[in-house]
Amino acid sequence: MAKALRVRFQPPLAVTLLILGFFVFIPMVSAFEYSIRTPLTGGYGWTHYLWAIREEEFFHYIFRSGWLAGLTVLITLIVLVPTMTWLHVSKSPIRPLIDGISLLPLVIPVVAFAVGAQISFPEFVQNTVLELPFLYFVLALPYAYRSLDIGLNSIPLKTITEAARSAGANWWRTITAVIVPVIRGSVMATIALTFALSLGEYTLTVLLHWDTFPTWVTFVAQDNILGAIAISMMSLIIPFLILTVITLFVPERSMQGRK
Amino acid sequence: MTSQVIEGGAPSRGRAFLASFIKNILPAVPLLLIVGFFFLFPIARLIYVSFLSNENTFTIDNFKTAVQEPYRTGFLNSIKIGVFSAAIAAFPGAIAAYFIESRGSSKLRRTIAVMSGVLANTGGVPLAFMFYAALGIQGFLTKFLKYLGWDLYAGTFSLGSFIGLLVVYLYFQLPLMVIVFSPAIVSLRREWSEAARNLGASQFNYWIRIGIPLLFPSFIASFLLLFASGFSAYATANALTVGNLPLTPLQIGGLLDGNVSAAQLNLGKALGVVMIVISACAVIPYLAIQRRSAKWQKR
Amino acid sequence: MSSKSLSLRNISKRFGNVIALDNFNLEVGVGELVALLGPSGCGKTTALRVVAGLEHQDAGTVLVADKNISDVPAHKRNMGMVFQAYSLFPNLTVEENVAFGLQMRKVSKHLRLKKAHELLDLVGLDSQSKRFTHQLSGGQQQRVALARALAFEPEILLLDEPLSALDAQVRVNLREEIRRLQLSLGTTTLFVTHDQEEAMAISDRVGVMNSGVLEQIDTPDALYNKPASSFVASFVGTMNRIPAHISDGMVEIFGSKVVALKRGNENGKVHALIRPESISVVATTAQGNAKVLTRSFMGASSNIICQTSDGTIVQSLMTSASTGDLLPGSSVQLRVLSSEVLVANV
Repeated sequence: MAKALRVRFQPPLAVTLLILGFFVFIPMVSAFEYSIRTPLTGGYGWTHYLWAIREEEFFHYIFRSGWLAGLTVLITLIVLVPTMTWLHVSKSPIRPLIDGISLLPLVIPVVAFAVGAQISFPEFVQNTVLELPFLYFVLALPYAYRSLDIGLNSIPLKTITEAARSAGANWWRTITAVIVPVIRGSVMATIALTFALSLGEYTLTVLLHWDTFPTWVTFVAQDNILGAIAISMMSLIIPFLILTVITLFVPERSMQGRK
Repeated sequence: MTSQVIEGGAPSRGRAFLASFIKNILPAVPLLLIVGFFFLFPIARLIYVSFLSNENTFTIDNFKTAVQEPYRTGFLNSIKIGVFSAAIAAFPGAIAAYFIESRGSSKLRRTIAVMSGVLANTGGVPLAFMFYAALGIQGFLTKFLKYLGWDLYAGTFSLGSFIGLLVVYLYFQLPLMVIVFSPAIVSLRREWSEAARNLGASQFNYWIRIGIPLLFPSFIASFLLLFASGFSAYATANALTVGNLPLTPLQIGGLLDGNVSAAQLNLGKALGVVMIVISACAVIPYLAIQRRSAKWQKR
Repeated sequence: MSSKSLSLRNISKRFGNVIALDNFNLEVGVGELVALLGPSGCGKTTALRVVAGLEHQDAGTVLVADKNISDVPAHKRNMGMVFQAYSLFPNLTVEENVAFGLQMRKVSKHLRLKKAHELLDLVGLDSQSKRFTHQLSGGQQQRVALARALAFEPEILLLDEPLSALDAQVRVNLREEIRRLQLSLGTTTLFVTHDQEEAMAISDRVGVMNSGVLEQIDTPDALYNKPASSFVASFVGTMNRIPAHISDGMVEIFGSKVVALKRGNENGKVHALIRPESISVVATTAQGNAKVLTRSFMGASSNIICQTSDGTIVQSLMTSASTGDLLPGSSVQLRVLSSEVLVANV
C-alpha cells in the first residue's frame, strides 16, 4: 500500500544516474561529434552518413544480417518453446541434462567455439551460410533458455495445459494458442535478445570467413575510417534509442505478460 | 497360460521402453540434435584434435607450446585484462545496481535494464569504432581532456594498449555488472532490513551482519562472469590493437586465419582448449552460486 | 518485568493522497494483548509500523510508559516485531537469528546463546537450532520469528499479521501458543490482523479500525454483543440486516415489536441488525412469513437460510436437533429471540 506511493527524490540515486549518464553518453556524444566532422570544409555535415547509406553494400549487408537473425529467431521459437514447455510440464528425467547443456555455451569462449566449428562440419554445412543461424542459436541459447524459463516458472503451467488439453486442444494448439500468449513477455524478450545477438555477432562470423554487416564495417574501416565510424554510430545509437523509447512508452503489462 | 505370459513379456518390455522413450526423451530430440551437432560435437572434436600431432598421432606437444612464449604472455595479458576490467567494474556496478534497484521506479529500472542489455551485448565492433572516435588522437574527448590540461597521448597511451583496451572494456563490463548483479539486490527483502532495525541493528550493523553476507556470493559470482567476458572478448580487441598487444583470442584468430604460421598445425586448438579450461574455472562457480542463491530468491 | 504500557496520541499519517491514520488514539496497558482488526487498507499496519518506528507519523506522539519516543529511531526502540513472513535472516542459523537482538545489545556470546535456547525451547524448536531457516516449514519459521522478537525481552511485542501466510490448522495452534507465551511472559502486545476470529480468540481487547480511525475498542464479548456502530456490527461476526419500521423506540420485525437499542431515525424505515443465533425458524403448516432456501448441517448447529415474503434473505443459526423438519422450500415462521435489537439507518 505504502510502497507504490513512495517515489520521491533520491539524492544517492540521482548521483548514480548522473555518473552513469556521463559514463555512457560522453563517449557516445563525442564519437558522434567526430562522425559529423567534414575534414574538407572544417565544419560539420552528414557526409559520412550519406556516404554510408548510398553504398549499395550497406543495405545488402543489413538485409543479409537481418534475415540471418530472423532465421535464428525462428529456430529458437520452433525448437526451444515447445521443448521447454514439455520439459516444464512432464517430469522428464533428462531435464537436468538439458538445463546443463543449455548453460554450457556460457562456459565456452566464442573464439574456442569458432575453432571447433571450423574443423568439425562436413563440406555441405561449411559451404552454406545457413550454418550461421544454427551457430547463433547455440550462442544465444543460455540467454533464451533463461528468459523462457523465468516466463514458464511464473505461470501455473500444469493447470493451464491440462485445461487446454481437456478443452480439446492438441499439443500444437496448446502451445501456440495458449502458452505463448500467456508468456508473451518472456517470448518477446527472447526474440529481442536472440535477434540482437545474431545481428551483432562478429567473432564467430569473421573466424568462419562469412561476411555480414558487422564484418563489413571492419572491412570498410580499412580505407574509410570515418565511414566505418558513421556506420557504427548508426548501428549502436539507433537500436539503443529505439529500445529505450519502447521501454519508456510501452505499458509494463504488455511487456511482461505476467509477473 | 504360463508360456503366454513369458511370450508376452519380451515385447511388452520393449514396448515399455519405447513408451518411456516417447514420453521422456522424444520431444527433446530436435534440441538435442541441434545442440549436439552444432555445439557439443565441435567442442569434442576441438578437444580431440588438440591432442593430435601433425601426423595425427597422439601428443601433448601442442599444449607444451601453448604455455610457452609468446602464448604464455598472451594468456597472462588476457587473464590480466579479464581480472582488471572485472575488478574495476564490479564495485561501481554493484553500487549502481543497488541504488537503481532499491530506490528507482519500475520504469527507471526497466529502462536501465534495456540500456545495459544493449551496451553489454551489442558492443564489439561498433563499440571499438565509437571509442576510436571519442578517445583517438583526434577524438573530441581527447581534445577536451587536453583542454583541461590532461594530455592522454603525452605518454605511451593508445587505444590498442593495455590501458586503452581496459577503458573500452569497462564500457561493456559496467553494464554487464548491473545486469548480472541486479537480481541479487532484488532478492534482498525489505523485511530483513526492517527486522534488523527492529532488533536493534544500526544501518551499519545491518550491512555488516546481513546485507553484505547475503550479497557477497552473488558479487563474487558476478565478478567471475565479468572476468570470463573480459578474458575471452575478441571483437573489440581485434579492431583496436594492431598486433602490439598479445592476447590469446587474437593469437587464436591469427592462427585460424593463417596470418600466423606455427610449426604445429593444431596449436590453435590447444590454445582454445586452455581458454575453455580457464573460462570454465570462472563460469562454472558462477552458475553454481547463482543456483544456490536462487533458493532464497524463490519464495 | 520489563513490559511497559503503550499510548498513541492523535497520530496522523498520510501517503500521498491516502490518509492511513487520521487522529488515531490507542492505549495499551501493561501486559495487555490488544488486537487491531480491520479490512485491508484501514491503517492498522501503519499504526503498528509507527509504533515500531519503521514509519514516522506526520503528527501526534507515541508514548512508552508515558515517555515520548516519537523521535527515537527504530533500532533504539526496545520492541520486538514479528512480520507476516520471510523475515528471518537466511544467512544465519535458527539460534543465530534468535540471538541477533541480544548480539546487537552486546550481550556476550555465551549468554545470548543460552537465552536463544531458552526461547527456542519455549516455542518447541530447540532441536532445530543449528539449521538454516529455509529448511523449516512456514509455521516453524514464524515460531522462530516469535522467539527472536522475544529473546531480548522487549518492552512491547508487535505482531504484524504473523499467521496470515500459514495453513488453517497451523494458524490455530500458533495463535494459542502466542497467547500462552504472551501471558506467561507478561509482554505488552499489539497484534494486527484482518481475521476477526483470530483477534477475538486471543486478545484482551480488540480495536476495530476503518479508514484510519478506531471505530471501537472493547473486549471481544462487548464488541460482539454491543457494537458501537453499524460498521463494527457488520464487520465482527455475521449480522442480518432486516428492513423494518421504527416508531416510538420500538421496531416491528416479523410481526412483533422489539425495543430498539440504538436509535437512528426516530420514525420510519430502518435496518434491524440481528445475529443469526437470535433468529428462530419454526416449521409451520399454515402460511408462514418465510420459506427455507437452504439448510447446512455443521455438526452441533445448523445454518438455515430463509427468504421472507418481501424478499429479504435471513440467516439463522440453531442447534441441529431442532432443524430436522426445515427442508428447502418448506414454509416457516421466523421470530426474533432477543428483546432488544440494534438498528441502523437505511
